[in-house]
Parts: sequence; structure tokens; C-alpha cells
Amino acid sequence: MGRLLKLREAHKTDAPATCSVLWAHDGSHLATSCASDTEVLIHDLSAPPPGRSGSTAGSSPVVLRHHKEGVTAIALGPTAGPLASGSFDHSVKLYNFPVGSFQGNVTRFTLPIKSLAFNKSGSLLAAAGDDDGIKLISTIDLTISRVLKGHRGPVTGLSFDPKHDYLASIDSFGTVIYWELSTGKQLHTLKSIAPNYNSDSSVLNTLSWRPDGEMLAVPGLRNDVVMYDRDTGEKLFNLRGDHEKSVCSFCWSPNGKYLATSGLDKQVLIWDVDLKQDIERQKFEERICGLSWKPVGNSLAVIDVVGRFGIWDNPVPVSMKSPTEGVVLNEPHSLFEDEDEEEVLGKGISCYSGSLDDSIEKGSGDFSPISRKRVKKRGPSFDEGEEVLQEIDSRKRRKESENKRGDGEIRERAVRMQDAFQVGFTPPQQGKRRFLCYNLLGCVTSLENDGFSHVEVDFHDTGRGPRVPSMTDYFGFTMAALNEKGCVLANPCKGEKNMSTLMYRPFGSWANNSEWSMRFELEEVKVVALGKNWVAAVTSHNFLRIFTESGLQMHILSVNGPVVAAAGSGDLLAVVTHASDCLSSGDQVLEIKVFNINEATQTISGRLPLTPCSHLTWLGFSEDGRLGSFDSKGNLRVYSDQFGGSWLPVFSADKARKSEDENYWIVGFNATKLFCIVCKSPESYPSVMPKPVLTILEFSSPLASSDLGADEVENEFMMTNLQLSEIRKKIKDMEAFGLDVTALDDEAFSLEVKLDRCILKLIASCCHSDRLVRATELARLLSTQKSLKGAITIVTASKLPILQEKFSTILEERMLDDLKTPEPIPTGRSNGKTAYSVQPPVRLSPMMEKSPDLNNRTPNTIKPQIKSSPATETLKLVKARYSTPENLAQGEDISKERELGSKLEKLATFVKGKGNATSEVTGKDVSSSATGNVKPELKFPINPFARVKKAT
Amino acid sequence: MAGQTDHSLSIFSAAEVEFIAEDEMIEIVPNIRMDALNLLCGDFGPFVPQIPCTVPLWLAVALKKRGKCSIRTPDWMSVEKLTQVLEAERESPREFQPLPFHYVEISRLLLDHAHDDIPEVYMVRSLIEDIRNVRFHKVESGLETISGRTHAVKLKNLSAMEVNLVRPFMARVLQAFYKHDSPEMVQQADTSASKRPQVVDRGPRRDLRPR
Repeated sequence: MGRLLKLREAHKTDAPATCSVLWAHDGSHLATSCASDTEVLIHDLSAPPPGRSGSTAGSSPVVLRHHKEGVTAIALGPTAGPLASGSFDHSVKLYNFPVGSFQGNVTRFTLPIKSLAFNKSGSLLAAAGDDDGIKLISTIDLTISRVLKGHRGPVTGLSFDPKHDYLASIDSFGTVIYWELSTGKQLHTLKSIAPNYNSDSSVLNTLSWRPDGEMLAVPGLRNDVVMYDRDTGEKLFNLRGDHEKSVCSFCWSPNGKYLATSGLDKQVLIWDVDLKQDIERQKFEERICGLSWKPVGNSLAVIDVVGRFGIWDNPVPVSMKSPTEGVVLNEPHSLFEDEDEEEVLGKGISCYSGSLDDSIEKGSGDFSPISRKRVKKRGPSFDEGEEVLQEIDSRKRRKESENKRGDGEIRERAVRMQDAFQVGFTPPQQGKRRFLCYNLLGCVTSLENDGFSHVEVDFHDTGRGPRVPSMTDYFGFTMAALNEKGCVLANPCKGEKNMSTLMYRPFGSWANNSEWSMRFELEEVKVVALGKNWVAAVTSHNFLRIFTESGLQMHILSVNGPVVAAAGSGDLLAVVTHASDCLSSGDQVLEIKVFNINEATQTISGRLPLTPCSHLTWLGFSEDGRLGSFDSKGNLRVYSDQFGGSWLPVFSADKARKSEDENYWIVGFNATKLFCIVCKSPESYPSVMPKPVLTILEFSSPLASSDLGADEVENEFMMTNLQLSEIRKKIKDMEAFGLDVTALDDEAFSLEVKLDRCILKLIASCCHSDRLVRATELARLLSTQKSLKGAITIVTASKLPILQEKFSTILEERMLDDLKTPEPIPTGRSNGKTAYSVQPPVRLSPMMEKSPDLNNRTPNTIKPQIKSSPATETLKLVKARYSTPENLAQGEDISKERELGSKLEKLATFVKGKGNATSEVTGKDVSSSATGNVKPELKFPINPFARVKKAT
Repeated sequence: MAGQTDHSLSIFSAAEVEFIAEDEMIEIVPNIRMDALNLLCGDFGPFVPQIPCTVPLWLAVALKKRGKCSIRTPDWMSVEKLTQVLEAERESPREFQPLPFHYVEISRLLLDHAHDDIPEVYMVRSLIEDIRNVRFHKVESGLETISGRTHAVKLKNLSAMEVNLVRPFMARVLQAFYKHDSPEMVQQADTSASKRPQVVDRGPRRDLRPR
């Protein structure tokens, strides 16, 4: 087989140019084109008896001279379908094949066309080139059904998935995009996986689906061909061998068993794809830029860059399976309809014309079904003529493809159940370092390098974190979790040899060799998590395995479904699993459980809420131990004990986003803020270099837009309320344990003050928009009397006497309540606290003793006063607001009270005085309240009170 | 430049100008955890690893020297922006492009102490050098146009270092012009002559300062 293949000149070129060659489906004709030649040639190989090894000197070829400039691409539809050609003259033309008659112009571009492809049924033609966007053209009516935009550079290769779900395209930068045909969306973008030919226009990147559609072949960066998975876009394996330079062109054998590749090193290699081994090769004088397997038999047509073509007979050694063997028989059932139509028609013709020169090699087994079907199909083609048949066929096919597309849409709507993911990871990118884990503490990064990786652990706080030496990883770790004490790494199983391994590296240990690893047979680690003195791993068997820090296997639990994510912090471990298949609306059903590992208890169990049609992208604990989840629609939810344990939405990326092209990659959160890395679209993950910088975003509730026009204040109100409830809960918990809560008390007090300030702002805006009932409700929420007085000044300033009256009533009620319950911690914590600070505990005890009788008396003595006071006040207000009459009125009040003549009345006067004083702006304490001076004021309600007590 | 060594007229030395520039604020990304610093000039921090915060340049440089932070290059110090500025400077011979008042000092400090934080540091350095040269040349050629009739020169967007270089010379030139022109003027307004020098001395500064 080593003899040199003789090539025949077809196109004349001065300089090397990209040429293409295509077989007709029956193997009787060969179409060739060349980028420096305006002609497309159709060589009829069937007329003379088949010659030997390429010397197919047939009759003169049919010449198609319709283009004005060089033809860069040709594509052939299925069966006897049309031939399409694209050219430097920006047009795409269709011809009858193999007759060669011109059918029409399909489309025009603004720039040269570089690539064409028909789909399997022939209903769609994809065309692309230097223009921005790939055009999908319906061949029935020649309309553009879709334009797919996303490539940055000229698109040089297109390939339709044989199952008609996807289109794959490659540009001259080596970027491959998987498009979903039903929606036109980009499914996967694989950047720089193929050689970059942007500077060299004579080489075009190409790619091709295996005929069964299970994998996509793309030229690799290391003189190889790399196979990518059909659905996930993950690298499967590569064919690497004797190509000394990059692979520039290849072609799958019709049965997908062999691949012919040609490289820049002027070699053509034939690969057995299953064995990943090259089985045959041939060296040429010039670079081969076009390859095409004969659809029947065992021949390969090649064309080189100077426009010479030839046919290589028996590229696959005769001893091996034929490259076309099993095409019909082994085809998956779903494809059978389309497939045998074209194959059979093609083969039928070839049998008829008797040019099946390699028929000896083919077993009679696959020959007989062909002939049987041929008989069936041949009838109409003879009766009605080819054109009619074609039309019928194409119409039928169109219907079919439409049906298929419909199916695809339904499938698209149902979101797939998401795979397990490790929190804080970024997907692998070839030749680039990536994060296995990134959290607020530090990161674990990995760089793959020739079969093994370098894993590094870095802490953000270089001053405090331990320094960890980098390690070489032969396992191929893809998951990691990190905390102060150590990191855990795990890898999925890859094939039979590489078992799933879990490894733990403590950072500081008193003993040598305290690193440990576990291997799992027939089981695969899906996610790992790390907490205080424990390591957790959830596996493909739905086991939750818990190890201690030293590697002791402590617990093995079963979780309810396939795991999605896990996160650990302190004693707590949160595990999210699938509870069932997706709902028909496309929502996933996820379940979350939170375990306390040290106590072996379960603290939270329930469904994990998600935004409709989204998936979980982050799960974790904040520094103070609150659980949060983040989904792909950019919503952060925080678990709260309110309402018996529920998830509160506290952040929405849509609202926070400043510009369209920002993606938030969350890292963590605390009580009021979200920490994330902002990634500019189309990137949705941060890169390791340069070091990403965290951005802080404030929480914001998804509030309805209200009539107040004070969204920010309302949001602050919600958030402060939430914070306050969290802190109060914590205080309660800590008090139950008998711990010191003074620090938390202080925090709660400052929060209360903040909340009051916020409520006052809301009251002000309620007053502006005339929402009096809401204002009153808000006033009732104020926690300190001081703020209530502030509220009264606000309503006074906005001249709302009704509110003023209401607020005064509230204030009076408050003060009376305080009287009734003079314990150090009454309604508002702040009052209790100030009381505490003002009065030494020695004084407290007599007060407590006195309080019972005081309580007994109050209902009788004070109630009438309450009733009278608003009335007097309104009277005053009706008379005059800001002048002396008020003072007079107050005087009257005082005189009345003197009549009552009890000890308590002094206080009552004070209360009243407060109520009235707001409108007066005379009293000393009132004026200070107006300025908003908190500390001395707060003591006032209590101080005189205490003195009264003492006097008694 | 002339008059530079004349201490009676030169107000600041280059080091002093740099000292003043150290009060400019700059963003850093600390890699340590530290509580807020309560300084006379304000409160800075708290410092949390990987979360950017704004501090004065002197503090940034001090932290950087100890390896406690990385300095985020200001927007104007990117190659793209500087290229634009340089082009604009070359295109308009009479105008100065708006740059930070202390751009010479800031870039100098950053290039000295935080060169590893600046992307494309050599390019940035050479661009800033070019911009500085173009601008200084502009200032010099502008000074040539000063004639006896000039009472004040208006220079917009001039930076601290440039002003500092020009100021003594400019003041003296104006003074000298005034002196040589004076025979007639002295006769006319002898009374004002005693006040004039001060006015001249202050004149240009007032024009230059407001940015």
C-alpha cells in the first residue's frame, strides 16, 4: 500500500488554495472545487469501466461556471439531492446533481463564504464564512430560517448532528460552538480547542460528527484529532500519532469506524477509531485539503492544495472491516427512515450502473437487503422522473424534520435534572488553571499538564493562613473543599483503571503523614464537604459517608436521591438531593437536609426552593452559620427560622445588575451583604489569573413597587427586621445555654435604633403620600419612646393633627405599659438596658417590691386620664396650634391633676406633658427630642419615674 | 528649568510634591484581615482579604511594601486610556488633557512600589514618560510665547509637578518683564509698583490651582 497515489489535475491554481472533493451518494460521480477556481467540476466515474488506483480517466467532467470568484465550499444534499457551492463572490448556489444544471441562488453574504453543510434530511443548508453569523437556510423555499450569531472570527467548519439536534461550528480561532437547532441557542462554547489559523487563511479549521452522532471530531492543538461528547461537549479521547503537524482535514468513514485525517505535514492517515490506532498512511507531494470516503466500497477521494485529486483504493486494508460495512444494518432504529432512503437509493443506482468495484470485499449479507430495498424504491423513480420524486421526498422529509424539531422543543422546555456539582468550582479549560474550590477563605486550583495536574492551595489571608506546598496529582482531582484546617480532594472514576479517590490533607498536624485517602470501588464520589473535624463525601450510590479528620469512617447514611451539592461549616452539613424528576413546568424538585455531625442530629429537612426553570449554582453557610442557596437566575435565598423555617429571598441579580453583561459568581454572604466575583459576559466563571477580586453587593428584597416611592427605605426596613429577628433568636438560644449575651444585646440595640430610624423615614414618606393608617401602624412598630417622640415631631411638621393625636395616644399607652411592668427588660430591650444603666441594682429591688401595688392602682387611676388627654389635646389644637393657649391648656391639665393628688400623678403629668409638649416646642426635654439626641433623652422617661419611686 | 534652584521662589521640591500626592486615595485589595484604622485623616478599612477598599496612597504603599495588599491600578493608568491621552496630547498642541492632578507622582509611586500589580507595566511606564515629555515640551514652548504684554498665563489641566516646575520661572519672567517695561509705567503709577510684585507672584498660582 506504500505506493504513491497518482493525482489528476482538476483545477488550476497558482498558489495553494483550499480544495474540496465530494462523492455522490452512489459513488458514481465526484464533485471537486477549488478556492482559486471559479468552476465546480462533476466527474463522471461510472461511464468508463473503473480504472485502477486513481487513474480514473473518464469522460470530460461537467463544468459549472456560475461563480464569479473561487469556490470555497461545496456540500451535497442527501440522496440525489442538490449540490450547493459557496464562493468568494459571497453567494451560495444550488445545482442539480449529478446533472449539473443550475437551480438557483440560495443566499448572499456580505463577505466570502467559507463553509457549507446540509443536514441529514436535506431540509436545511447551513452556510457561514467571514460574515457575523451562520445562516440556516431552508432548502424547500430558500428562506433563511435562522441566523446563529456567536463566533468571533470567520466560521470555517460546519457540521449537522446526524440526529438533527445540534449543529457544530468552528471558527478560525479554533473555537467550537454547539448550537441547539430547535432553539438556536449556544449549548457549549469550547474556546481555543483547535489550532488558531486566523493569520493563515489557506487552512480552514473543520469538524465533523461521527455518522452515528455520538461524538464530534475536532482537530486538536497537539497534532491530533480530539473527540467531544455529543451532549456534554466534554472531551472523550484523542487520536494522536504520527502527524507531525496539525491536522487540517478529516472525514469519517460512512460507518463511523474509521477516520481519514490529513495533516499540514502532507500525510493522510487512516485511523481505527475504536482502537484509537492508525492503520494506514500515505505521504503526498502537497498538502491534502479535502478527503471524502466513497459511500460504497472502500475508497477515499483526496484533493490537494494545488487542485489535483485522486482516488485511493482500499485505504482500509482488505483484511479489516470495510469502511462502509454495516452502514444500513447497524444504523440505530430512529435513524432508519432517513438513512435507508438515501443509502438505498444511492446504492441502488450504484448497483445498477455496475460501478461497485469493491463489491467483492463486502459480505453478501449486507448486499442482499440493499437489493431488496432497491426493488421497492426504484419503481416510482422510474415512473415519475427524478425531479418529481425529489420533490415528494423533500416535502416528506421536511414534515419529518418539523416533527423532530417539535419533539426537541418539548424536550428543551423540560429542564434536565442537574448533575452534581462542587460548590465554588469552575469548569476545566484547556491549558488554563482552574478553581476546584473557591470560598471566602481561600482557593484550591488545579492545572492539567500532560496527564497529571498540579494542585495548589492558597489562602486569601496570607498573614494568617498556613502555607501549603503545591502537590502533583496523578488522580485528576476535580472536586475540593477547603477550610482552615485542611482540604479534601476527590476525583470521579474515569474508566475501569482509575477509581474514584478521596484524599484529605490536613494543614497542620503534630504527626507526620497524617494525610489519608480512600478508594471507592464501583462507586463514585459526587461531591465533598468539609467541616469541623469531619469530612463528608456523597457518592453515586447515594451514600453520605462521613469521616473524621484523621480518616476514621464514622457514619454512612443513605440520602434520598441523586446528590446535587453539599456544603459544610462547623458542625453543620447541608446536602441537596433530587427528590424527583423535573416537573412538567421545568422546575426541579430538590430536597435539602442539614445535619449536625457532632450531635448526629438533623436540624433542617425540606424542599429547597428555586426560581422556576433554574438550577442550583451555589450552596453554603455564612460566617455566622446561616444557610443560603443561589440559583442560576441569580436569586439568593437565606434560610430563616421564621414561619417554622422558611427560605427568604434576599437578593436578586436582575435588580442589582448594573449592565447587561455582568454575571455574578457567588462566593459567600454575611448578614447584610453578598460577596461575589463579577464576570463579564460571555464568561460566567472567574479565571484564576489575574486573581479575582470580590465585589460586595447589598441584599435587596424583591419588594413590590409600592405607592410610597421609598423603595430603599422599605428594603432597609425588611432587611433590618430580618437581622433583628435573627439576633433575637440567637440571644434566646444563648440565654438558654446561660451564656453571656451583652455583646449581642448591644448589637440588637443598635439594630433597633437603625430600624427606628428607618421606620421614621417611612412615616415621613407615608405622611407625604397621605397614608395615615400605615403611618400609625408604623408608629406602633417603633421600639423606643424616644423615636415615638421623633415620629410626633415629624407629623407635627407635616401638619397632620389626627396623626399627632394618634401617636400621642400610642406614646401614652407605651409609658403606661412601662409603668405596669417596670422590669428591666420590658417591651423594648433598649429601655430595659438604659434602666439598668441608670439605676444601680440596689435601687431596683425596692422598686420591684413596690410594683405590685402600683400595678393594682393604675387601672383605676390612670385610665380616665388617658381618655381625657387626647380630647384636651384636640381641643387645644382646634383652638390654636403653636401659641400660648397650649401652655394654658397644659396649665389646666396640671391643675386638674393636682386635684387628684396621688404620687403617681406626678408621673402622669409628665406623660401628658410629653404628649402635649410635642406641639409646643417649649419644654427642655422636648426640644432635645426634636434634635434627635438619643442618649440623654432615653433616660428621661425613667429617671423621674425612679425618683418618684424613691420618694415613696 | 530656570529658577528651579531659587528657593525663595520655588515653593516645593519634587519630593515635597510627591509627599502631598501621597494623600490621594487609591483602591487596594488587602490579603490580610485587619480591623479598621482610625487615623487623623479618617477611618480606613476594615480590611478583609480579597475585598477592595480605598485608602490614601501612603498607606497603600506602606502595606504594599510589607506584602499585605495589592494595589489596583487606577482607570486612567491603563494602556488603553494612556494611549488615548497621548494621542490627544500630540494632536492638540495648545491644550492639556485632563489627567489626575498628581498623575506624575502617583504613577511614579506605583511604578516604584507596585510594578507587579500593573498590567503591561513597561508599556504603561513608557506611555506615561511620553505623555510627561509631550506635556513638558508643550509647557516650555508655551513659555516662549510670553511677551512683555503678558500679565497672566492660563494653563488648564496642568498637573502639580508641571506647575511646580513652571511656577518659579514664570513668576520671575513676569517680574522681569514688568521690570523692563516699567520706565513708562513707573512714571505713571509709581504708587502701585510696590504692590505689583506680590500680585504677579500670586497671579499664576491662582489661575492654575483650580482644576
